[in-house]
Amino acid sequence: MGEILIGLALIALCLVVYLESGNYTSLTEMHLDPGSFPTLIAALLTFLSLILIIGKVVELRKRKPATKPKKSLKEFYTEYRLVLLTVLLFIVYIFLMQFIGFVVTTILFIIGAGVLIGSRKKKDLIIISSVAVIVTLSTYFFFENVLYIRFPSGIFF
Amino acid sequence: MLDLLVLGIAEIFQLRILIIIMIGVIVGILAGLIPGFTVAMAIVLTLPLTFGMDPVAGVSAMIGVFVGGMSGGLITAALLGIPGTPSSVATTFDAYPMTQNGEPGKALSIGVWASFLSSIISFIILVSIAPQISRFALMMGPWEMFSLIVVALTIIASVTGESVVKGLIAGLFGILIATVGADPISGIARFSFDLTVLRAGIPFLVVLIGMFAISRLLVSLETTEMNKDADNRAKDKLKNVKFVLKPIKTLITVLKKPGTLIGSSAIGSIIGAIPGAGGSIANIVAYDQAKKWSKNPEKFGTGCEEGVIASEAGNNSTVGGDLIPTVALGIPGSAVTAVLLSALMVHGITPGPLLITNEPNVVGGIFFAFLVASFWMLFAQFLGMRFFMKVTQVPVHILIPVILVLCVIGTFVLNNRFTDLYILLAMGLIGYLFTKYKFSLAPAIIGVILGPIAEVNLRRAVMADPDWTLFLTRPISLIFLILAALSIFFTIWQSYKTNHRIKKMEQVE
Repeated sequence: MGEILIGLALIALCLVVYLESGNYTSLTEMHLDPGSFPTLIAALLTFLSLILIIGKVVELRKRKPATKPKKSLKEFYTEYRLVLLTVLLFIVYIFLMQFIGFVVTTILFIIGAGVLIGSRKKKDLIIISSVAVIVTLSTYFFFENVLYIRFPSGIFF
Repeated sequence: MLDLLVLGIAEIFQLRILIIIMIGVIVGILAGLIPGFTVAMAIVLTLPLTFGMDPVAGVSAMIGVFVGGMSGGLITAALLGIPGTPSSVATTFDAYPMTQNGEPGKALSIGVWASFLSSIISFIILVSIAPQISRFALMMGPWEMFSLIVVALTIIASVTGESVVKGLIAGLFGILIATVGADPISGIARFSFDLTVLRAGIPFLVVLIGMFAISRLLVSLETTEMNKDADNRAKDKLKNVKFVLKPIKTLITVLKKPGTLIGSSAIGSIIGAIPGAGGSIANIVAYDQAKKWSKNPEKFGTGCEEGVIASEAGNNSTVGGDLIPTVALGIPGSAVTAVLLSALMVHGITPGPLLITNEPNVVGGIFFAFLVASFWMLFAQFLGMRFFMKVTQVPVHILIPVILVLCVIGTFVLNNRFTDLYILLAMGLIGYLFTKYKFSLAPAIIGVILGPIAEVNLRRAVMADPDWTLFLTRPISLIFLILAALSIFFTIWQSYKTNHRIKKMEQVE
């Protein structure tokens, strides 16, 4: 099922590429203009996505008497709980970084993700907190002073 | 060839660079050792650290990580029967039984020697073949370059992943990602949809970090994976094996099997040179071939020396093989060499057939760094193995957040652009979906790096002569295109054959 959705998404992407590719001005009539190579690739990709979708639909039809019991939403949640929560935390981390600054958000993210994934014992909490501080500060100072990278500073640092 | 090596020696034999390579090797061994931390991830994360160095030093550091990583998987494979990286799956077949028979030290030492000697053999193959190929490649025009990229991509698509269709889809998707941003010939911004995020294009390294590091970390967070990992760790604690390494004795053992060693190294080098096929395939193929050619194949799997030699020689010699197309043609065979090439590009060096002529010191440096890294690997493994063992104990809940942060830093350091982090997240999620539905990521990555080169060459070819049939009438180009078609048909035919056989078996039942 997932493959069909991915195939459809890819075809949609290709449609966008077709529509967008027509807009670029070509320098001369003879040569390929900026839109032609993407159009060619998109055409091939559409063709292959169609093959994939058709193949999967045929396969699903053949297996119509559903031998596989449908996975319940609860099972899905237990399997992917950590993945979903970590991604969510990661999004919040990136988003907040521009406002609060690199150092603070990174320390909080490492501790937060560590607690989320691992245990909540006091000893582990101390270890993960010290790891968070050491990793963050050492990378921060290394890149700021050796490679002169400016990290987002935000309100604190 | 010799002048290249002399230049290389001059570049590498400085204390600073020797130390850099040593650190790289140790980092690589650790990355290969820690389950869930892959060599590709380690290389991707080393890259930002090398921006401040000169090109040769930076590339040497990464080669160190590459060589170390290929041999790092050996330790867990031999002692615990768990491959630390996909490249050491076949190593578990014989090295682990050898440990169970009470000879862990022997298994490890043989593995280290096989890794080292096979690296040397693949180094010789690399140094003697790469310059010849690049000389040949200099005669190729844009038609041939375009066809070469077509064949490279189709081969990658057919050797990796579940099916050719999925592989090709991944490859084309990668090419499309690379078309975002400025058009390589006229400079018009394409597919940016007036978003600031996309105007500068999607940087290759961000795609790589997202697809190879973030998505891999997300996979290891699934409950099934977490439980598997916990099981392995429980096993880990039970097996506090004591072992004595016997460097001299096992060297003789390995040298007594020259056929297995050289054969497996040659197989590894050839497989490494094929785009897309790397250590994980070479490891198994070399083991399989050694079993076929052996006088007593029934001993394989019970802890026999030849099995350990073949599997470890197979995966380590892919490094030299992988560097052949990378250096000679500018076409990376794996994610790791793709990073290597992009490191060169960051330093303003254009990879391609001209690389050996234009930058002989860099190429010589790459060659010689590979040799030095092999020696460091040997020393580091024999002297530091006991210490490395302890590192597998790093708990997941520390490892994953820290690597995620390193990914963010790596992305940020690349262009100092905050918006790249959103692209990183998107690529991580796309990569995760791809892995979930068994689209292999290697073609997508190689597509991203080769797409622009393919486009430039295609357009140059049409500019020089708008006749399309030239792709088919120029002999070398034609051969490449035929190879591309053959690789697709061969894979389809093979999967049809296996399907057919499965159906027949079902009917019999």
